[in-house]
Amino acid sequence: MTRYLLSRFAQLAVVVFLVTSIAFFLIHVAPGDPFADAVANPNVSEAVRARWREAYGLDKPLPEQFVRYVTSVARGDLGWSFSKQRPVKAVLSDALPNTLLLMSIALFASFAVGIGLAVAQALKPGSLTDRVIGGISLFLFSVPEFLLALVLLVLFTYKFQRFPIGGMTDLDYPSFTPIRRLADIARHTVLPAITLTLLFSAVVARYQRAALQDVLPLDFVKTARAKGLPERVIVRHHALRNALLPTISLFGLAFPMLLTGAVFVEKVFSWPGMGSIIVGSIDSRDYPLLMSAIIIGSVLVAVGSLLADLLYLAADPRLRDAR
Amino acid sequence: MLPTRRTVARRLIANRSAIAAMALLLAIIIPCAGAPLFVSHDPLSQPDPVKLKYQPPSRISPFGTDELSRDVFSRVLYGGRTSLSIALVATLLSITLGTAYGAVAGFAGGVVESVMMRILDALMSIPRLLLLIAVFATWDELQVKWFILIIGFTGWYGLSRIVRGQVLAMKGEEFVMSARALGAGPARILLRHVLPNVLTPVIVAAALGVGRVILLEAGLSYLGVGLHPPDPSWGNIIQDGTDKIYAIASIWWISFFPGMALVLTVMAFNSLGDALREALEPRGIRS
Amino acid sequence: MRQLAPLTALLLIALACEGDKQSASSENAAAAPGGTVVISSGGEPDVLFPPLSATTTGQQITDLVYDHLADLGTSLNTVGDEGFTPHLAKSWTWSPDSLSIQFHLDPRAKWHDGLPVRASDVAFTYAIYTDSATASPRAPLVASVDSVTAPDSLTAVFWFSKRSPTQFFEATDPMVILPEHALQGIRGQALRTAPLARAPIGSGRFRFVNWTAGASVEIAADTANYRGRPYLDRVVWRIAPDPNTTFTRLIGGEADVLEDPSAAELTELATHRDIRATLLSGLDYNFIQFNLHDPASDSRPHPIFADKSVRRALTMAVDRAGAVQSVYDSLAAVAIGPTVRAYPTTDTTLREISYSPDGARRLLDSLGWRVSGADSIRRRNGRPLEFTLTVPGSSRNRVNMAVIIQNQLKQVGAKMNIDKVEFAAFIDRETRHKFDAMMGGWHVEASPAGIRQTWSSAGAHAGGSNYGSYTNPTFDAQADSALSAMTLPERRNLFKHAYQTIIDDAPAIWLAEPKNSVAIHRRIRTPALRPDAWWSSVAEWWVAPAERITRDSIGLRR
Repeated sequence: MTRYLLSRFAQLAVVVFLVTSIAFFLIHVAPGDPFADAVANPNVSEAVRARWREAYGLDKPLPEQFVRYVTSVARGDLGWSFSKQRPVKAVLSDALPNTLLLMSIALFASFAVGIGLAVAQALKPGSLTDRVIGGISLFLFSVPEFLLALVLLVLFTYKFQRFPIGGMTDLDYPSFTPIRRLADIARHTVLPAITLTLLFSAVVARYQRAALQDVLPLDFVKTARAKGLPERVIVRHHALRNALLPTISLFGLAFPMLLTGAVFVEKVFSWPGMGSIIVGSIDSRDYPLLMSAIIIGSVLVAVGSLLADLLYLAADPRLRDAR
Repeated sequence: MLPTRRTVARRLIANRSAIAAMALLLAIIIPCAGAPLFVSHDPLSQPDPVKLKYQPPSRISPFGTDELSRDVFSRVLYGGRTSLSIALVATLLSITLGTAYGAVAGFAGGVVESVMMRILDALMSIPRLLLLIAVFATWDELQVKWFILIIGFTGWYGLSRIVRGQVLAMKGEEFVMSARALGAGPARILLRHVLPNVLTPVIVAAALGVGRVILLEAGLSYLGVGLHPPDPSWGNIIQDGTDKIYAIASIWWISFFPGMALVLTVMAFNSLGDALREALEPRGIRS
Repeated sequence: MRQLAPLTALLLIALACEGDKQSASSENAAAAPGGTVVISSGGEPDVLFPPLSATTTGQQITDLVYDHLADLGTSLNTVGDEGFTPHLAKSWTWSPDSLSIQFHLDPRAKWHDGLPVRASDVAFTYAIYTDSATASPRAPLVASVDSVTAPDSLTAVFWFSKRSPTQFFEATDPMVILPEHALQGIRGQALRTAPLARAPIGSGRFRFVNWTAGASVEIAADTANYRGRPYLDRVVWRIAPDPNTTFTRLIGGEADVLEDPSAAELTELATHRDIRATLLSGLDYNFIQFNLHDPASDSRPHPIFADKSVRRALTMAVDRAGAVQSVYDSLAAVAIGPTVRAYPTTDTTLREISYSPDGARRLLDSLGWRVSGADSIRRRNGRPLEFTLTVPGSSRNRVNMAVIIQNQLKQVGAKMNIDKVEFAAFIDRETRHKFDAMMGGWHVEASPAGIRQTWSSAGAHAGGSNYGSYTNPTFDAQADSALSAMTLPERRNLFKHAYQTIIDDAPAIWLAEPKNSVAIHRRIRTPALRPDAWWSSVAEWWVAPAERITRDSIGLRR
């Protein structure tokens, strides 16, 4: 087990190195320098710009910059964000928990809803329920994330003003009591979390239904049916337990999908998480921030995939022995 | 093993949603591909940006006009042409890469396979959207061909895993071992024996992949790193309406029609992918 | 029906403005303390440290938390000290030779942490702004100031090496006064991470309360302020990068102020009776700039644009008013020249090149550019009248304008190709002069001195901002004498000559002067807003007591 974990952590290091190299390559291939906006202001002198370049180390030779970059990332120093005028690490450590909040709510809700829907479908295959749920899943699976988010935004903050208009906290949040603060964040979380959940539960439902379809014709199910057990029990207890296994591997897929979805959802709802940081850094051409956010995103995905694999190992005794 | 072509066709025809999906796709693809034949308006022309902007659907402009008095119908058709060709070419590239990578890895085995799989794992850890954002945000004057290439180069990971799995399973099969015994080289075995048997996941991946790329292109345009206007693509047409959603009740047509076109197309491709999977490898329960 | 909507909007806005002006004066007596104003902001401040802040939001906040020595008036007069309001400096004395100005600080002025404001703070501020280690982009704006001394604790003296009409403006506007005691020992790049950079301590009528990263910044009334407390209790900037959210917050009642609503948003606002949208004179102008040099080699003249008459002909071919109207509707005026109407030195009676496609055709014919071939493009000695316009793809308005003009030029036989490039590449082409024509624009500061860098020979070399390399010694001389004029009427007259010269030379087709707009909730009463800084008068804003809503009644905490 330890050897397995060690090799996975080594893999994590490889991932970080790979992403960091790609990031470095992209930043330095990009045309112009990040201070282009300053160039449009005729009052900024060349001397000032030279100063900035020096401060960011942009005047050293490329290989030296690469080494500096990789070693600093390894140390945890992700550089300076000039659009936020703070160290990148500080910006991301403020943003990451907010995204994790959304993602974890959506993760659990999606699995619960998705599996529930798939079970409902499998109870009476070919029935109206099956087809309606299947149709809705297909629709949610095929709609662009931002469109769904926009529709929900218009409906529930503009048309029917039931929810706060974007953001994570209320105007007077700093003066709230801790309980009120929690309630405030909860209110703001509803719409973005629902959007992410709708998107991912469609994936889970489709996947789970296919898995159930594989399991239901198997012998042990036929035996259970012959025993006279109600269909409900058969599907939920016997079939599901076996069909859940492939779904656990979906856990690994969940991280990149939810992170991707979060980029759009956070933009639409102005949720101050990693997605907003990424979108903002595109507009402000803050490449150090953008690249670091992507590095962190990749680490998150790699960690998620590791967790998923561990979960899979824990769930399937057959694999455990082989290890 | 693969069912015969006739069986597949029979199963597809029996599947009602597959028929609906294919019909829908034809109804969308044909007008888009043959856009110049179907529309009389130039999608880029702005007849009168002051008086004719935001006109509701009418006989001259069945989908209405947009902010610059451009005809939405012709933009949806030409945009579809762009988006669909991007999606088809990029997906073709992805499945080729994925199949090749997976087959080589599975067949080679040993250290080569290990290394290839490790690289694959590392690549899979980088979320596709984020990587594309990083590349396109820093890319000056992005041209369509590079757009297609880069999207294609990032969509093959899942398929290569599956293909490798299939190849590994095949390696132990009798007919492969006998082919080897007869002195057939690995390339020949790959092409004549192994590949035809991995067709199922490849075909399904193709259908689902096209839908994914269409969605990806739309998302990238929304974030501002997709194809640049004024040449229309579904992504950048939809993006036009996304910063004035409160006005959507009064100018709903500028986002509704391209949005519908996109969603219906992706649904059709996904549905087709599902149906193909069913037809090629039916599961226990038919629906 | 659609086309009436913007006109109706304008009408409503105009009526609203009129009504408010009258009620404001009679109601001013009713101004009472209290109220919370929420500004719906699309951008977060970068750092709340004035020498280094590069965002508008940052500037808005620091302008209210910190004080200038004296404040620029709404007329934007930068000649002499007319119209300036005393802030930190209660009064000032000019030396007889005008080579120094003595500012007498208000003895009651205190920093928000209780310590008194002293002249040493002023000298310290000057040192920080001009320190090359700080690398402040505002340093060149105080370049005319030689030094600042503090003979006693309440007198700060600004020394100049020579007289200039704008020396008072340069002494007071670029810098807000910083607390020396809060920045002890912190210099250079360390200033960015100093506590003061994220929690400013000023002497202004508002004091900083908190900054929740990514969400909001709050400032509150400084009740013991030497100039008296502002009417409002609090001002909060609520940040949301997405334009749908910032707008919906305004109409949904979660915010009170939105700056620069788009044309679509203004149309929508016309249907919301509780929001009042005000249009202000803008400080931007855009244009199509011709490269008078050959892009291939900076020393050779441009094969088409070196000829002034060709440029004038092309200008005649463009229906500037029509193009601006199409793209901006009523949200921009047609640009007069390399200046904006907000400047008191801009005379609007200048002689423009009128729109006349026939005139353009005749002129081009007479110059030897004749229509030939099936494509009806003009040619002279085999060279077609064809060029490429470089446009920054990020600006939709500029792209749309380019497309309209492309069409108009086609009508007179000129072929303009549009090359949309990404912003960084656009800047690159500009600075290296690698373009035929480019769709450029300038945002101007309160002082018109920028014209030297942008349109005179001084700016025509590498590193300057006169990207088209327009050189006319007459214009240079006229601009210089205008900038040296010591009185406003003199300056205005001299600028009139200078602007007329450059308009006649047509180094650019002057396009639009976009207006600024700001949408404010009706219950908030404001004085006349400064075109370049609508927020500068927030300390004078008040909420009509009869119209208060929930958040107005929260009152001051702590």
